[in-house]
Amino acid sequence: MRIVILIGAAALAAMAADQATLDRGRKEAGLACTPCHSLRLVESQRLSRAAWNKELDKMSGWGTKITDREALVEYLVANFGDDKPPSPPAMSKDGVPRKQH
Amino acid sequence: MPFTRRSLFATIAAGAVASQVARSADDSVAIPGKRPMILHNDRPEDLETPVHYFDSWVTPVDVFFVRQHLPRPSKIDPAAYRLTVNGMVSKPLELTLADLQKLPQYTIPATIECTGNGRGFYVPKVPGVQWMRGAIGNAEWRGPRVSDVLKLAGASSSAAFIDTDGADTGLASTPDFVRSLPMNKAMHPATILALSMNGQTPDIHGFPVRLIVPGWDGTSSVKWVVRISATAQANNGFFMNPGYRYPKYALPPGTPAKPAELEVIEGMPVKSTITAPEDQQKIPLAPTTLRGFAWAGENAIERVEVSTDGGSRWRDAQLSPKKLPFAWRLWSLEWTPADPGYYTVMSRATDTAGRVQPIVAPWNPSGYLWNAIDRVGITVEKSA
Repeated sequence: MRIVILIGAAALAAMAADQATLDRGRKEAGLACTPCHSLRLVESQRLSRAAWNKELDKMSGWGTKITDREALVEYLVANFGDDKPPSPPAMSKDGVPRKQH
Repeated sequence: MPFTRRSLFATIAAGAVASQVARSADDSVAIPGKRPMILHNDRPEDLETPVHYFDSWVTPVDVFFVRQHLPRPSKIDPAAYRLTVNGMVSKPLELTLADLQKLPQYTIPATIECTGNGRGFYVPKVPGVQWMRGAIGNAEWRGPRVSDVLKLAGASSSAAFIDTDGADTGLASTPDFVRSLPMNKAMHPATILALSMNGQTPDIHGFPVRLIVPGWDGTSSVKWVVRISATAQANNGFFMNPGYRYPKYALPPGTPAKPAELEVIEGMPVKSTITAPEDQQKIPLAPTTLRGFAWAGENAIERVEVSTDGGSRWRDAQLSPKKLPFAWRLWSLEWTPADPGYYTVMSRATDTAGRVQPIVAPWNPSGYLWNAIDRVGITVEKSA
């Protein structure tokens, strides 16, 4: 029990230490990515750190302004890394007027 | 109701489900003209067709998949529409929609599939829209032949390609969407400038004028076409190079390609998909119909075999009657499971050129051309 609590506390501490960076990264994703596309495109990916860096290089080349790249990468890897399970499919709402059904 | 641990757990679980449902509903958007679709991206629109809509040979427009590279251009006024035809031509043209309507019109039934359909199945994961089974549809496209337009403009016999540009433009410095098509495919009688699909002209699918390149990857079929240029060389913009290229030699999964060994994707491979029952569905112990579709790019489908025992034994499925190049065939097989339990159902297509679906689709860094034998898990339950 004691070990579990200690491990839990350590994990919490590690997460807490990173949380500020992750928060900055989330904010950066909103600023950098959304001028051209929704965040759904980002959040549905499951990529390694190297692959995320490659994507950010590609997007920078296409004119994306990334000011806090380090935090953005940490946020992407922590939430949408290739070790995370795929996100369940989102569905759009019905966009066909009822009379056409 | 006594407040037991179990009921407390049930209450929490129900609450969690309710909040999840509420969140996805709040979060979700409606795409005008589209039934509920798998929403990969709403801006621009990347919409996948849920497999339960695939029960007709012609896929209705309101459930047809959408893949946009760039934001949709503002709606084109048909009266103001102009098609520029230039480059290596003796008579550069500015054609109106009425001009295109005056040319002989042809109806081409053709399946169109996103090059990355099935990308979500690849391991290791690759970047891009994580399509599963539904970035595909079959429609009746109608309009004049590209060859008639090129003849009208007096295209030079030494032109080797056409460049096709859509009205969409990239934000910031995102490259423009321009595709190059070898002249022999451009001159093919089935390659048309579609003025309608299934008799409709949906803006979201590239109308008033959309290039249709039957049997080739979906990205060849440029939307909102505003310019066709006859050229000597292939266009070398992003969406031709490195975009939409496939390794000439198969790669170990997870390794990068050598840029010089990437080739432009042209015709699509042979492929079948299971649409009913759906993966992980539960069905009663009773006769059931296994269903799906199969297509083979520029070829027609010759045969679809289905296994209900994980690929040990195979039976021929029934095929829909029209055996055409470019268009899919629907398949079905009546099946009465002998026992309850879990079944692995698989489908395997063969085309008129003798190509057969592989067990393993070759991994590639962009996740293109997934065509492995399809496979779903079904639980057959004893009837109560």
